[in-house]
Amino acid sequence: MRRFRGFGSLIVIVVVATFGLVYTFGVGNKPLLGLDLQGGVSVVLQPTNEVTEETLEQAISIIRQRVDALGVAEPEITRQGDNILIQIPGVDDRDRALALVGQTAELQFRPVLGAIPAGLDLESAPTDTPAPGDSSDTTTEAPDTTAPDTTAPDATDETEQGLGLGVGESAGGVVAQSAFESAQAEPPPEPAPDTTAPAAPEGTDTTLAPPIDATELLTGGLPADVCTTGIPSSELPPDENVTLPQCEEGVLVATYQLGPVLLTGAGLESAAASLFGAEWQVSPVFKGGSEGIDAFNGAASQCFSQSPSCPTGQLGIVLDGRVISAPTIQTPTFSRDEVSITGQFTEREARDLATALNYGALPVELEQQQAQLVSATLGRDALEAGLVAGVVGLVLASAYMITVYRFLGLLSVLKLTVEGALLWTVISYLGSNSGLALTLAGITGIIVSIGVSFDSNVVYYEHLKEDVRAGRSIRSATDKSFVAAFSTIVKADVASLIGAGLLWWLTVGPVRGFAFYLGIAGLLDLLASWAFMRPAVKLATKSSFLRARPGLLGLPAEVPPTGARPTDPPVAASTAGAAR
Amino acid sequence: MTAFARLLRGQSTIDFPTWWKRALVLSALLVLISIGSLFTRGLSLGIDFVGGVSWEVPAPGVSVSDARQALTEVGQEGAKIQIVGDDTLRVQGPEMDDAGVASVREVLADVAGTEVAEVSVSTVGASWGSDITNAAVRALFFFFAAILIYLTIRLEWRMAVAALVAVAHDVLISVGVYSVFQFDVTPGTVIAFLTILGYSIYDTIVVDDKIKENERLVGLSGRMDYTQMVSLSMNQVLLRSINTTITSLLPVISLLVVGGAIMGAVTLQEFALALFVGLAVGAYSSIFVAAPALVWLKEKEPKNQTVRERLAASGGGVSGADPDARGVAAGVRGAKAVSAATTTSTSSSSAGTPSSSAGTGRPKPPTPSSAIPPRPRKKTKKR
Repeated sequence: MRRFRGFGSLIVIVVVATFGLVYTFGVGNKPLLGLDLQGGVSVVLQPTNEVTEETLEQAISIIRQRVDALGVAEPEITRQGDNILIQIPGVDDRDRALALVGQTAELQFRPVLGAIPAGLDLESAPTDTPAPGDSSDTTTEAPDTTAPDTTAPDATDETEQGLGLGVGESAGGVVAQSAFESAQAEPPPEPAPDTTAPAAPEGTDTTLAPPIDATELLTGGLPADVCTTGIPSSELPPDENVTLPQCEEGVLVATYQLGPVLLTGAGLESAAASLFGAEWQVSPVFKGGSEGIDAFNGAASQCFSQSPSCPTGQLGIVLDGRVISAPTIQTPTFSRDEVSITGQFTEREARDLATALNYGALPVELEQQQAQLVSATLGRDALEAGLVAGVVGLVLASAYMITVYRFLGLLSVLKLTVEGALLWTVISYLGSNSGLALTLAGITGIIVSIGVSFDSNVVYYEHLKEDVRAGRSIRSATDKSFVAAFSTIVKADVASLIGAGLLWWLTVGPVRGFAFYLGIAGLLDLLASWAFMRPAVKLATKSSFLRARPGLLGLPAEVPPTGARPTDPPVAASTAGAAR
Repeated sequence: MTAFARLLRGQSTIDFPTWWKRALVLSALLVLISIGSLFTRGLSLGIDFVGGVSWEVPAPGVSVSDARQALTEVGQEGAKIQIVGDDTLRVQGPEMDDAGVASVREVLADVAGTEVAEVSVSTVGASWGSDITNAAVRALFFFFAAILIYLTIRLEWRMAVAALVAVAHDVLISVGVYSVFQFDVTPGTVIAFLTILGYSIYDTIVVDDKIKENERLVGLSGRMDYTQMVSLSMNQVLLRSINTTITSLLPVISLLVVGGAIMGAVTLQEFALALFVGLAVGAYSSIFVAAPALVWLKEKEPKNQTVRERLAASGGGVSGADPDARGVAAGVRGAKAVSAATTTSTSSSSAGTPSSSAGTGRPKPPTPSSAIPPRPRKKTKKR
């Protein structure tokens, strides 16, 4: 058995590589393609101020839940330094994804003091604006509405309009139910049409109290582009009245006057959208205690009784400086899990509202640094180009190695195959289990690592050639050269690993993917150099057939230079004897 | 024997010290051009560094003027429009609001005759670019520090310093190429530059390891000073350097030509171009920058000065007092003599060096060559 000492590692690494592949295909692990390879949305968010580790983690988990709610297969949300990188492959509806991910400010519940729809025009503003679309249906289909349909316009100096009629749907199963209507139920109307107040989501009994300043009517005193610019939450003092827009797909649909914050998103535990009968509804569940359901009930009773602090009976839900919904409160008190918001929701509207509610309480303000939307075609093309380039590069480099080093070159290609099998196993495992995506940068890193792998062989083989030329026998040179060469390989690979590690640690985005795969490839190269290259070359030089034909090995002839004795007489003599 | 055959046998007799002088002129020239260009022309920074919006759509047969005409309608006549890769239309503009981004997206889909979903969009805030740059600079700084420490431990500080000089040289020239030709600098470029560091270091380590292995020859033989020894080592590792460079370059060339030019993957081209430039410069610098820098540092060492002076005084050496002043012919002759003398010594020298002695060193009979005095027998572990 002594003859086979040192070959254990060869067997082990080949077996491991084979089993790795068998496992990968058996389990069905596949590399997870990054969005630059399959199309999708990527966003980098950065906190605008100093945040603690914990807050950032919390923000990430909230964003993760939001993204999960999109129903996308494999979203990847990672923290890189203080940045949050969100990658959602395969999503085409970028705006929706971005909007959900980007809702970063705190969720607030504020009483509605009054509201006007956008685009109201002084001359044509009717005192009784018919609500467009299905909102009037909502009203008529609400038989046991308990909330009043009209508003008490005495609380503010501005025009008030009762937006959002209560829709009581006291169907069985929900004990205490607040019937809300969605403020998002309508598609965006054309801005500022002449005759109607198109943006008023609801409101059959609109009461306008003149006189009204015309410009204020259009936007309620807000800038016309408020929906795209937004209102920073720093300008929203929680204990003062504020004027906020309601927007739909970037278009201002209404302006609300709202009172001080009665409750924040921190009081919410969760929210879900569900189909109740034929209706989609949203059911928030509040946390217990004074921060949660107690605060909500306080707000609810104020609004239910239409006290001066909540004259409209509506409780506005504010996120990112925008009113996302203003349901009318129809019950004074609730249990924490008995609240539901109803209206003429489509499934998507219900889900979006639930998502916004559910994860609305981001504890940190985030700024979008970079957003990227890659089309599926572009991604596929890039993947294809990367793969073809990789294969061509592999073939070229392999051909070169085999030309120069013959059989030893072939061994280096085999070593690369083993490395490739292990790398594939790792990539597929991490892709399927840890959500690590293979990006174009990663593919580049892998292609580049072909060179690194061959470099190790070159270092060894050239050392081998030198030693043989210097008069050593091929067999003794095989061992001796490996030690010297491996020392060089380790130094060089460790230097690469240091570089890869630092890149991974210090950078963001695609650079990281590149560094990761380069690092993995470097480690595998170290492993394969020791466990595969060393014994494989040893095996090759053990073969008397090959040793008698050093040309096949890509080595110079074993015969030492004329006149010089072999440097290593005993071994050289014995090998020579064995070989011939 | 032809020069090529000698190269294949690892017995090339290039007189590197003379080449170093020429290389020094070349490198200084390139570095000056790079710095000059950086100051006058600057770098053409992609939107990832300056902030803005970039749209990309496959648009076969659509010309830049078609696109410009269409974009004028949405007030984007100032946008930078390129056909990149095969037939991809790329439009870049300053930062704008979501509605503006969407309108351009629609226009481009129209022009290209495709779906809106086919138009890729990338928006980058202005501060993001400085973040990337800062991260890269920080990574560079830490990389330099870490490599300096690592190489100082594994080799010696002079080699570490010389390696870093070479790396700095590589990065400067690579960046210079980007400045002179005004190639767009993208995150891919940054990745590539950072990779170049690794490669440059790899090459330099291979060379340094050989020098370390041969270092014992200095003074011992009575025929060689440090400069000559390095020159000899260079000749010995030349083929190795050439081969590692070729095996590294082939995949990169494939990325550049097949992935980028033929298949039209722009990102691949960006990666590969920087890699190609950097690898070529890196291979050059490991021999023509790192080595002379090391020699310069080492020749300052008293013990090496002594060797040189002794060789000069004895007149028996091939080297004059100033090794750099020798002519090419003398250099070649010297190197020949040296390489003939060391063909047998290489193995014995490497056996005794600390890095390679573990488990393999074997007491050797005195070598017959008169050039190398016999090494004292040394007790090492028997296999």
